Amino acid sequence: MATDTGVATAPRPVPPAPPRRSSGGIEAPQRRFRWAVLSPTVLYLAFFTLLPLVWVFALSMFSYSPRREGAGIGGLGGDNPFVGLDNFKEMFNFSSQSLLTESFQNSVKITLLFAFIVLPLNLLITLPLAVMIESVARRLRPFLRTVFFMPVLASAVAVAVIWQYVLNPQYGLANAMIGKVTGSVTAISWLNDPNLTVFGIPIALLAVTFAYLWMDIGYNLVIFIAALQGIPKSLTEAADLDGANSFQRFRLVTLPLLKPTILLTSVLTMISSFQAFDLFQVMTLGGPDEQTRVLSLDIYENAFTFQAMGWAAAESLVLLAIVLAITLLQARLLRTKWSY
Amino acid sequence: MATVAAAERSESAITVVAPPRRAVPVGRLVLYLVLLISGVVAALPFFWMVFGSFKTGAEIRQIPPTFVPETWTLDNYRTILQDPELPLTTFYRNSLFVAVMNVITTLFMASLLGYIFAKYRFRGRQVMFWYLMALMMVPPSVLMIPNYLILSRLGLLNNLWGLVITVIVDPFAVFVMRQFIMALPDEQIESARIDGASEFRIYRTIVLPQVKPALATLGLLTFMFNWNAYLWPLIVLTQNDKRTIPVILSWYSTQHSAQLNLVMAAAVLMVVPVLVFFLFTQRWIVAGLTLSGGK
Repeated sequence: MATDTGVATAPRPVPPAPPRRSSGGIEAPQRRFRWAVLSPTVLYLAFFTLLPLVWVFALSMFSYSPRREGAGIGGLGGDNPFVGLDNFKEMFNFSSQSLLTESFQNSVKITLLFAFIVLPLNLLITLPLAVMIESVARRLRPFLRTVFFMPVLASAVAVAVIWQYVLNPQYGLANAMIGKVTGSVTAISWLNDPNLTVFGIPIALLAVTFAYLWMDIGYNLVIFIAALQGIPKSLTEAADLDGANSFQRFRLVTLPLLKPTILLTSVLTMISSFQAFDLFQVMTLGGPDEQTRVLSLDIYENAFTFQAMGWAAAESLVLLAIVLAITLLQARLLRTKWSY
Repeated sequence: MATVAAAERSESAITVVAPPRRAVPVGRLVLYLVLLISGVVAALPFFWMVFGSFKTGAEIRQIPPTFVPETWTLDNYRTILQDPELPLTTFYRNSLFVAVMNVITTLFMASLLGYIFAKYRFRGRQVMFWYLMALMMVPPSVLMIPNYLILSRLGLLNNLWGLVITVIVDPFAVFVMRQFIMALPDEQIESARIDGASEFRIYRTIVLPQVKPALATLGLLTFMFNWNAYLWPLIVLTQNDKRTIPVILSWYSTQHSAQLNLVMAAAVLMVVPVLVFFLFTQRWIVAGLTLSGGK
């Protein structure tokens, strides 16, 4: 455990060579310095990371609300009763009538849907875009990169506020442009119409997805650009000499070399989309009809609006399990596919 | 895979040959056109915000809407700057305090711990390091509930220090600093030790100056991350006079959702100054993001 590591006082094995005048004398200040840094760090980590981790696991096994007095350590007990694994059992009870359960199951479904829309779209945009930017005149590249990277630098709240205006049914840019093209007045209620779907996906979820992609593509873009710059010129030129056209060059040389990068960015994109919160909280607050209520939003609202913190803690552990599963899967894939 | 290997084999032959001619002109033209269009599409929402902030209340409610304002007005900005409910300097000060304090604490702790993890051998080093690395995988939503309860018991809710104290050790920053410091030669440190320099002095005068670029990059990333943070400040800060800019912008846009011209002016005032700063420093931000591949 991390708590007992920094306070290890066992004598350090003295390196045999080179012989020193008095190794103990030289090592004493090092040990003091290590102690001076590590002991407050260990205390800090114990209090602000280990304690919360233990606490969140404990919370998930209670029906806890900070409004109730409770009993015992941290108010866990008394009128905040211990429920064991009931919270988790209830989460996966698919015939439950409880609103909390329905909301959780719905939010997991929406989060999965969101993450699996975001990932392919993100890669389909960023990968060709990176290749295109890298193939134009050198002087133009920083400018182009900046244009796509700017939304990454802006706060997500600003992005959400801008897109609310872009998507406004009456005064928004999106409908105005569609109206221009089709020649008729368009009043799509992007963020508020529960009945509008595309391929069965609620339009509001797609609208937030679009804003999310706009905000997020710059990130993967610069990573792919850096990876492309890392590919030796001689490889692509060899392909040219062998008579490959630019598409073949991309498919047979660039793409295989980018594979590890693509895998890593896919995982990171997926993990962050599983945790998406800001845009949803500002743009839709889960609506219409809970069609955009993602897991992070459900956790936040249950914990801080409805004060159902035991339940929310259990939900957050499900999120943790999902993120850990993806991370471990990635570690496996990277180990086997890294060689080229 | 086979093609790559083949290409690698012919690599040595290529270097002496003049680079072959690239794609045909028509292809170039299409390429530039596609990039131009997608660039314009990417930039449009920003223009939409800026133009919207200069439109009158009547014009912004016009159907169909105008793109560039027909009559430019500064009234929206005047209204925002004079709104007693929206003391911008307070919010800027709050955001700046949190971001700067977090940069200082993160860089200080990360460089110290990075130095120790890179150059010291001691029992428990591995365990402690891997514990930190594992923390990187924990989503913020998992720690926010217990951290909220801890802050409430410490009386630090609705207090800007609450946003500082919870993130003093940033595992990602520790990892980056360790990588950089590991690359520094041991001999330098050893000889300073033999000359009788104290450990802190070695850290300050030998280690720190050599990792300045990494510190600058990490500092910028930390600043940006904290400046733009929303979820945790939203939970901790409960009253407007203590809130940071993203929380206030969200609050204001909800309050004034019918006056989009005001919301856009507020957005411009709250976003553009720092965005310009980030644009000028984006080279280091990009370096920081790509160096890790992690957020």
